[in-house]
Formats: sequence, structure tokens, C-alpha cells
Amino acid sequence: MQLDAFRRELDGWLDEHAAELARDASDGDGLDADMAQLAKVKQMTFDAGWMRWGWPQRVGGLGGSPLLRGYLGEALTARDLVEPGTYSMTEVLAPTMIDYARPELAAEMVPRLLRGEEMWCQGFSEPGTGSNLAALSCRAVRADDGWRVTGQKVWTSFAQFAQRCVLLARTGAPDSAHRGITALFVDMDAPGITVRPIETMHGRLEFCEVFFDDVLVPVERMLGEEGQGWSVAMDLLPYERSTSLWHRGAFLQQRLQHLLTDVADDSLSAAELGDVVVQLFALRARSRATQHRLAAGERLGPETSVDKVLLATTEQSLFDLVASAVADDVLTGDDAAGARWRSDYLYSRAATIYGGSAEIQRNVLARRVLDLGPES
Amino acid sequence: MDAADCELFTEALRKAVQHGVSLDDVGWYDALADDREVAVATLFELQGEHNATSTALDAVVADAAGLPSGRILLPALDSAHAPATITGGRVRVRGICRGGLDSTVIAATNDGYVSLQVSDLQLRPVGGMDPRLELVAITGAVHGAVPEPAGWTAGVAAGQLALAHELVGTSRAMLRLAREHALDREQFGRPIASFQAVRHKLAEAHVAVESAKSAADAAWHDPAFAAVAKAVAGRSARTVARHAQQVLAGIGFTTEHPLHRYIRRALVLDGLFGSSRTLTSEIGAQALRTRHLPRPIPL
Ligand SMILES: Cc1cc2nc3c(=O)[nH]c(=O)nc-3n(C[C@H](O)[C@H](O)[C@H](O)COP(=O)(O)OP(=O)(O)OC[C@H]3O[C@@H](n4cnc5c(N)ncnc54)[C@H](O)[C@@H]3O)c2cc1C
Repeated sequence: MQLDAFRRELDGWLDEHAAELARDASDGDGLDADMAQLAKVKQMTFDAGWMRWGWPQRVGGLGGSPLLRGYLGEALTARDLVEPGTYSMTEVLAPTMIDYARPELAAEMVPRLLRGEEMWCQGFSEPGTGSNLAALSCRAVRADDGWRVTGQKVWTSFAQFAQRCVLLARTGAPDSAHRGITALFVDMDAPGITVRPIETMHGRLEFCEVFFDDVLVPVERMLGEEGQGWSVAMDLLPYERSTSLWHRGAFLQQRLQHLLTDVADDSLSAAELGDVVVQLFALRARSRATQHRLAAGERLGPETSVDKVLLATTEQSLFDLVASAVADDVLTGDDAAGARWRSDYLYSRAATIYGGSAEIQRNVLARRVLDLGPES
Repeated sequence: MDAADCELFTEALRKAVQHGVSLDDVGWYDALADDREVAVATLFELQGEHNATSTALDAVVADAAGLPSGRILLPALDSAHAPATITGGRVRVRGICRGGLDSTVIAATNDGYVSLQVSDLQLRPVGGMDPRLELVAITGAVHGAVPEPAGWTAGVAAGQLALAHELVGTSRAMLRLAREHALDREQFGRPIASFQAVRHKLAEAHVAVESAKSAADAAWHDPAFAAVAKAVAGRSARTVARHAQQVLAGIGFTTEHPLHRYIRRALVLDGLFGSSRTLTSEIGAQALRTRHLPRPIPL
């Protein structure tokens, strides 16, 4: 399937099924409703074939270029059918499974994620390790029956909804840094796991603390080899900055258009609006180029930190504009529109934190792209 | 052109740009006819990287606007308006030429062009911020010239996109100078490249260069994207200039170091065919008027 044909046919299908795909207003507008909507849209698009394009056949896909996945998420986001944050877990975690899980495991699990039967989460950060991920201390000890995991993760997005977790655990000596980390694919209903949702500033139970108390993880659930967890993590991050970033660009476009449609004539200045339009263009131009590199089979690496810096900067500029243009809604609005603008505005503040902070992205560019040598 | 051809072409052009060889001799005008994107992007980025100039912008604008070949009058600084207006048989011109003059100059109106004798016009060789750019400001009024049809809007888009690429090259050169300096220069017993404040400035400059390059490349999809690509490039060049100047500090503030030439070039190129500031406001005003964002870049 070529991109142009895919675009045309998918657009037609989305028009035709607009009513069934739309959010069910009776679900309300919280995170539970977003999750229900996500599952519905994924199931419908999977059963109709759209969600299977761009993924390899061995995990239930129909093959074809990853550009098709890029367009699917763009179209769903542009029509406000899915929220790109929750949708992104698919684009981040499925490629990791395909690259690192045993083929049978990937073939069994990936279709469940694609079809929306399951939600997965990513357990990297810990109370003592955010930016300095290589210092993580959640331990996995080898036993006769598999790995035994004990420790804590934090800020694990959507863990309370998740059936599985891609977990990084320390399997080497405590000071083995990035060499002693192993990635495990963990069932969230395994005995010994406790999940405690945390309320975020934007008013959602977006992420959780996850406690592991002697949790058994079978050996077949290793992603890659023992000690290869750092590579798994480093290969995963560029996915966060490619296809799902393209989707987030479509989200920003959709929100800015929404602002332009909604707002009173005199509350936007041409110069300020133009500035965001220009930034958004640059972000999407860069993200598009990255999508095409991915589609051409290039291995993405630290250069995708450029995409992340552009995303974070643009997202914050856009919602700064929102916060001044619809200040009433953002500050004092208690209706649905006010709540949404406020939530989007507040969430944009995290764009320079999650997935590697703004400072860490610049460190990566300085060291690995500009080759400036070690920091003092 | 395939990748190998492109590489050969780039190397030939690089030599031409560095040593002032005529663009005709290295086949650039043929390339412009065959593969406009490669010809324009390659030449203008090289010109930017080497702080060189040429009359190639004329060919780019003429080709797109349907003007005859020759010296083209470009819009006056910080505007994209056609340099000629005709009222009651009287042609008034106000614009800029880049590079040496011929005896005639072609001046576009909104929907046509006239060919004028340079001797009938007032010329002012421009020193200004960047004398090496060899601009000439031209004004005047002439009677009786009859316009031929042409399409100025397409010429504007082509000119803006070429300049966006030239700004990318200029920015790339400033970043290169700053990076080399950061690695060479030692303070407190170590290279200044080891200080995080310096590293982050260079990283920021790198992001600016890359975003301008992506925006310019993406703008080849649709002439409607040219103005926004130029706005990105102008804005990025200012960001890179600011960080490069800070990292190069004292030496970068002298005329003994080449940085100043690139900064001067960036400022003046930003002003040609509309500055980033002007274009950005126009883009915003257009969106406000229509209540629609510009069409997004298709994947
Ligand atoms: C909305 C949201 C969702 C998230 N989802 C997940 C998830 O699903 N899974 C998961 O594992 N994690 C998740 N995280 C956690 C996220 O990855 C971390 O917050 C992030 O890596 C930063 O870690 P930290 O918060 O501990 O900050 P710290 O690492 O403590 O950093 C604090 C400040 O110091 C700066 N800093 C630290 N080190 C350096 C340095 N070397 N140079 C310069 N500055 C430095 C940082 O940039 C930051 O500004 C999420 C976070 C948010 C906000």
C-alpha cells in the first residue's frame, strides 16, 4: 500500500465511520474516558486493517512503510479521535518488542497492543533516578524459576490501566551503571506488584508509583540479553521522537486551529500567532524528515534530540499563546472548554521534562552529535 | 540527479564558489533547468557557508516569475513587493540589485515586467552592514515603458526559498566557527567546550540550523511554504549568530576573525524579500483573516 492511496482510503473510511468513531459523550472527559475511546478506535482501525499497516507480518501487521503508521496517527489526532499521549505508548513500545522480544513473544503480544485489547507502560524512572537513568536500582535477581524483581518505579504513565510493563531492572552489581541493566516484559497482574496512581498538576491520574515485591518474571520475558537493557532503552527513545512525535505535531496543529476558530478577534496578535505558526512549521518539517529517514530504513539515534527540543519548545510557545488568548478559560473557566484548555496548558509544562529533560537533550546533542568531548 | 551526481556537482560548485569561477562553467544554469531544487539548495547553501555572493538569485527569480534572463531588480529591503509600479504610463522603481550591473535591468510589477536602461535610474552602491554583498540600491521613474506579462508571486516564493537556503549555509558556518573555537580555546585549564553553558548554546544553535534546513527542504513541496521557510531561516540565523558570538567572545568581536562577516551577511539576507519579523507577522495576519492555519506539510 502506497502512502497516497492509504491516505485517500483511510480518510474516506474515517468519514464514513465518523459517528461510530466519535467519543461517547456519556463516558465523560476524564482519563478513563480517554482510555475507553483509545481502545475503541484501535479495535475498529485494527479490524478494518488500517492499524495493521506499517507493522511486520510476524506481529500481525500487513507490512508496508512506517509512513502509513505516521499518517494513521496524524489522521486520528487531527480529527480529535485519540489523545496523542495515550496513543504514543503503541508507537514507542511495539517497535521495542519487535526488535528485542523473542519472536514468539512479540507475535503473541504486539497484536493485543495494536488492537487496543491491552495497554502497556514503561517502567524506567525511579525515585532516585530520573535523568541519570543508568543509576537505577530496582533489582532483578536470577532464581531457578526466572527473575525475581524487587524495587520501585515512579511516574510510570498509565500503569493503572496497563496489562504489561517494559521494565528496566538492575541485574549487575549495584555500581555496574549502564552495563548491569536488563529489560523485562512484566505482567502487571503478577503477584507482588502494587500500583498507586499519582495526581498530576493537570488534574489527571496520569502516572503511578509501581512497587515490586519479589515479583517473578519468567526468563522468556527478557527483552534482549541479560545486561542489554541500556541498548533497549537507548533504541526506544528515538521511537518516542519519531512517529509519536509526528502525531504530537498533528495534535498541536489541531489545537492551534481550534484556538483560531474559537477566539475573539482582538485577543490574538498577528505577530504572536505568526511566531507559533512558524515554529510549528519547522517542527513538522523536521519531524517529517525523520519519518522519511525511518521509512528508508535508517537507524535513528541521538540526532532525534533535535526533534524533541523543537517539540518541547513549540508546544510550550503554543500553550503560552493559548494562556494569554483565552486567559479567562484557562484561569477561571469551569466548563468543558475551560477545563480542556487548562489541562492542555498545564500538560505542556511537562514537555521539557518527560522523555529526557530539555537539558538532557542538549547534553546529548553536545556530546553525541556535535562531538564536543566530555563535560567538565 | 542521483546521490553520486549530486556529490560531484556539489564539489564542483564548492570550488566555483570558493574561487569565484563562473557558475556557467560548472553547469549550474543547466542544473537549474534540470533539477531546480538540487541546483538552488546546493548553490545557495554553499554561498552561505563560504560567505560568497553571485548574481544567481536573478536567475532563480527570473526562472520562476517568467522574466527574461538578465539583471533583475529585487524588492527593496524588508519587503517582497514588486519593485516597479506603473501609473499613467509612468514606471516608478525602487529596489536592489545583487552583484555588478549591466546596461539594462528588469523590473517586475505585480503582473508583468519592464526592461529599463540603468543610465535612466539613480544608483547607490550599498556599503551598509555587509559591503561584501555588493548590493546596489536603485530608484527612479521612467516614462513610456510598456510591460510584458510575468508572474511576480512565483518569483517571490523562489527568491525566498533560495535565500532560506543561503541563510542555512550562513548559520552552518557560524556554528562551525563556534564549535571549532570551543574545542580549541582553553580556560581554567580545559577546553571551553567542556562547560555546560557553552555546550548548551552550541546545542541550541545546532537545533536552529537543523530546523531551518528541514523547513527549507520541506518548502519545495509547495510555493506557499516559501515565506514561512524564510521566516524560520532568518530567525534561526539570528539565534545561531547570538550563540556563536557569545562562544567566540572577544576574538569573535574582531575583524581578525571571520565570524563578523557571517553575522553581517545573516542580518542583510534576513532583510531581503521580507525579514523573519515581517513575514511572521504577515503569516499571523493571514491566519487571523481567514481563521485558518496554513495547510500543514503532508507526510
Ligand atoms: C508527564 C510525565 C510522564 C512521564 N512518564 C514516564 C513513564 O511513563 N515512564 C518513566 O519511566 N518515566 C516517566 N516520566 C519521568 C521522566 O522521564 C523524568 O521526570 C525525567 O527523566 C526527569 O527526571 P526527574 O524528574 O527525576 O528530574 P531530575 O533528573 O532530578 O532533574 C531535575 C532537573 O535537573 C536537571 N538535570 C539533571 N541532570 C542534569 C545534567 N546532567 N545536566 C543538566 N541538567 C541536569 C534536569 O534537566 C531537571 O531540570 C514522566 C514524567 C512526566 C513529567
